[in-house]
Amino acid sequence: MFKKFSSEDVSSQNQVKASVQRKIRQSIAEEYPGLEPVLDDLLPKKVPLIVVKCQNHLNLVLVNSVPLFFNIRDGPYMPTLRLLHQYPNIMKKFQVDRGAIKFVLAGANIMCPGLTSPGGALDDEVEAETPVAIMAEGKQHALAIGFNKMSAKDIKAINKGIGVDNMHYLNDGLWKMERLE
Amino acid sequence: MAEKPQPVKVLYCSICSLPAEYCEFGPDFEKCKPWLINNAPELYPDLLKEASEKEAEKVSEQLQSIGVSSSADGAASSARPGNALSSKQEDVKRLPGGKIKKKEKQEVVIEKVVRNRRKCITIVKGLDLFGIKLSDASKKLGKKFATGASVVKGPTEKEQIDVQGDISYDIVEYITETWPAVPETAIFFIEDGKKVPAS
Repeated sequence: MFKKFSSEDVSSQNQVKASVQRKIRQSIAEEYPGLEPVLDDLLPKKVPLIVVKCQNHLNLVLVNSVPLFFNIRDGPYMPTLRLLHQYPNIMKKFQVDRGAIKFVLAGANIMCPGLTSPGGALDDEVEAETPVAIMAEGKQHALAIGFNKMSAKDIKAINKGIGVDNMHYLNDGLWKMERLE
Repeated sequence: MAEKPQPVKVLYCSICSLPAEYCEFGPDFEKCKPWLINNAPELYPDLLKEASEKEAEKVSEQLQSIGVSSSADGAASSARPGNALSSKQEDVKRLPGGKIKKKEKQEVVIEKVVRNRRKCITIVKGLDLFGIKLSDASKKLGKKFATGASVVKGPTEKEQIDVQGDISYDIVEYITETWPAVPETAIFFIEDGKKVPAS
């Protein structure tokens, strides 16, 4: 989704009010309970949070000019890959097999067979419409962040079509943007 | 949970900015290799072996060339293996689907097409491969030959210049004069096959 993304796609950059900042913190805490102890370090209360609005109803949450989370159209907040590499256990993980890696790294969505084949792994409890981390067979770090289209049980049962939407992957536009002024 | 999860420090490749283990999927694995050998040898143990093998090859070739030939030849042939090893092979570019991108040959193709019984047009294809702006080129051609010239989109994405009338007699000279980047040998006429214009 961030295949082409640069500072020209940004339409506005605003510091948010404290009430909005609290709401964002709360929704992130709900979505990622594993992050709670560190939430104060990542999103300190006193530091102004900047929300950047971009094309396609995309919002980026920046702290100190570093993008940390993003969301689309008031959907769930998803961490950037750089943040996920630092705290790998906050999200559920799906694993794809080796052959799918280069397609995912080009922005492709993740098809069910990639997850059900021998190299892939599924976490059974995951429901549809949730953010998940996508790992690769044989690699230690996350490859991409996706948004489930189907629950893990459906993926196993139906085994056809798009299983997970690829929202953010390594070396895409958002990854290349380590800081945003 | 009482414990605070500590941030994991990830080693990112300084060349492709990916985590070190993903360098093979990065834009240029060859460039990453020397960096990887220095910073993350445990991820790619084969790289270390490769590097030492190449070193051994180089040394043995140089020894051979010095030993076998006489001093005069020795200088020349020791230069050659050096060149052969250093000139890298062009990596075949692969698109994400796995298809191989064809290398485009730089040539200008001139074709004549009959429009009415008396009139014809000359089609010039391939000027953009030399970095020439087609809109400028078509204006110049039209002015020089005092006819109409336009840029037309061909059946594929490629564009071509259509010039009214038969201008094949002067076109070669004009192209090589105005755009020295185009050598005479790169211009071909279509006459049921390709013909090289040298005359």
